[in-house]
Amino acid sequence: MKKIYFYATCLGTAAMQESIINAIKLLTREGIEVIFKKNQTCCAQPSFNSGYFKESKEIALYNVNLFEKDYPIVVPSGSCAGMMSHDYIELFKKDKELERVEKFSKRIIELSQYLDKVLNVNYEDKGEPIKVTWHSNCHALRVQKSIESSKNLIKRLKNVELIDLEYEEECCGFGGTFSVKEPEISNAMVKTKIKDIQNTGVKYLISGDGGCLLNIDGTMKKMGLDIKGVHLYDFLLKRIEGERL
Amino acid sequence: MSSEKIAHEEIVRIKLNDTQMRENLMTAMHTLQKNRLKVIENKFEDWEGLRTKAKKAKNNALMSLKDRLLEFEKNAQKNGMKVHWASSDEDACELIYELMKQKKITKILKGKSMASEEIGLNHYLEKKGIKAIETDLGELILQLNGESPVHIVVPAIHRNRNEVGQIFKEKLGAKLESEPEKLNAIAREHLRAEFEELKLGLSGVNFAMSKEGAFWLIENEGNGRMCTTAPDIHIALCGIEKVMESFEDAATMVSLLTPSATGQFIPTYNNIITAPRKNGDLDGPKEVHIILFDHHRSDMLAHEDYYEALRCIRCGACMNFCPVYDQIGGHTYQTIYPGPIGEVISPNLFGIDQTGDILNFCSLCGRCSEVCPVKIPLAELIRKLRADKVGQRQNPPLGAEFMHKNKGESFVFKQFKNLATNGERWRFSLSKAHYFNYFIQNFKHSLPVIKKWSAFKELPQIKKDLYKEVQNIQGVVYE
Repeated sequence: MKKIYFYATCLGTAAMQESIINAIKLLTREGIEVIFKKNQTCCAQPSFNSGYFKESKEIALYNVNLFEKDYPIVVPSGSCAGMMSHDYIELFKKDKELERVEKFSKRIIELSQYLDKVLNVNYEDKGEPIKVTWHSNCHALRVQKSIESSKNLIKRLKNVELIDLEYEEECCGFGGTFSVKEPEISNAMVKTKIKDIQNTGVKYLISGDGGCLLNIDGTMKKMGLDIKGVHLYDFLLKRIEGERL
Repeated sequence: MSSEKIAHEEIVRIKLNDTQMRENLMTAMHTLQKNRLKVIENKFEDWEGLRTKAKKAKNNALMSLKDRLLEFEKNAQKNGMKVHWASSDEDACELIYELMKQKKITKILKGKSMASEEIGLNHYLEKKGIKAIETDLGELILQLNGESPVHIVVPAIHRNRNEVGQIFKEKLGAKLESEPEKLNAIAREHLRAEFEELKLGLSGVNFAMSKEGAFWLIENEGNGRMCTTAPDIHIALCGIEKVMESFEDAATMVSLLTPSATGQFIPTYNNIITAPRKNGDLDGPKEVHIILFDHHRSDMLAHEDYYEALRCIRCGACMNFCPVYDQIGGHTYQTIYPGPIGEVISPNLFGIDQTGDILNFCSLCGRCSEVCPVKIPLAELIRKLRADKVGQRQNPPLGAEFMHKNKGESFVFKQFKNLATNGERWRFSLSKAHYFNYFIQNFKHSLPVIKKWSAFKELPQIKKDLYKEVQNIQGVVYE
């Protein structure tokens, strides 16, 4: 049996537990043994992006030490995966711990990449015909490069039609601490994004990242729109289990 | 740098409320983005290879900059041009003023030059009673309207043609027009009068070639060529980082520049200036002066990271693709260079204490690094400057000693680190988060951080203890 470490992410643990549970179920239903380190915390992206490199390094080393065995570390977020697979190396470029950090970073894989590329999953779509559109998380797109796999998984669902979102590669304005530091600009950005989503005419927006979803879906709810933001892993599990969205 | 800076929050609010400007910008930026993609797809076989080549050529020049500059000086002088050196912005302005005084010239016509904006030339000359007249259409519109450039390539892109017609009507007494051709005609007629009896023309420099002792100017309107050929004297203002080794290196840059900037395959005008007018030449200035100015570029070059931003060829692609710039426009940055490249070079040129607040204008989406033709890792450099801003790096840029440190924020991240490196405490806190859901949902308008978030968005409902749930899933080892 394949063994993997599962990285729940801080946002997933604090605010999106349902999506995390569904993500884990997508792995266990493929017969994977999922190891959940109860002392896992955060990848340090909030402090890193705010320029607090010293604190971020301490958190990074905490993670390197915690996930000690040589199993792949599967992360249900392109953003956190990108941080640990790429930005950690940047952070430790001139430090003596670099080699250890690199070894750790090489084991990081985003969940959709794991399902698509490693397991090559086969999904039976039990849902009704539906049209959805997709939002790409910036870090997943440009750092972890996991968007292709995420979309591949959706394309395996025979009753789901994926409608292109115009300006898909434009940031939704979450940016972690950015949305708190510059809430007005962030709001202007997400409003632009929502306009594009409305233009597709679909009722469901799928995304593989909790932060973007909190931002986009939270704003759509506040606006009272009839469009629902759904996390990719919630979406996938519900489709293959025939549950309603 | 202007001293009348508007407070950060205030300028953001003002610009976000300027819906006309935002609409104009959004439309223009999307057009520029599409043009760029189209030209790269249709006209280039190996865009990525060209980027790599350009990065290498520019780095070569930067790593041997002293030699390049001396070589340029020698060869340009041999060609009959006069080379001047300026270490600061003020020195550069003074040099131009002194030249004018010497020649008893009181009017100067300018081609488009961000360098002249950087050193504050117009303002400097104005104080001395000299009028510097902009001849680039965008710059002219701004000058008439008393504005600064909103973008480094298309300086008046935030104004649509109706607004331009209005400005021409008010400031030039022209008939109200909105057709681009008619607007152009108004500007042409206005400028023709200025070009008559022109004694001194000023231009920037896109690339200077040390081997050839020549420099390259690209433009679209022909006004630049007027400024460099019609007058008796031509002064070219050139940041030291613009000097490259060879004509071939410069050609690589030019082939990347216009596609990145506006999506054109090639610029409308290429001016390669090698010498003043020679015996038998029919036109051209009798004197060509080139001012090589530093203005903290040497400091940047000495920096282990920020030297990379000296590769910039001022194409503006980073701002064309920046989702933040799109929303707030260039004026919000309150520095000559806006957008992602501005966030990197403005603190280095003008002081991080003066411009550090603009480092907030970035969601770190990384699109700027992706499109930069010379592969400047802009997002990474912005993040490093943030670390400089909070005093966490060894070699901070100009003005760091005067930086105001946010002690509250630094305390928060220290606490965050303490929690994130202590699994038991972390788990304890987060496993109880759902107990606070009711409290958070009901007091969201008065809780710090959450207050800002919930002003615009619904908060998620926190209903579960993940740790408890995970242990109940079959196939999960909880350890």
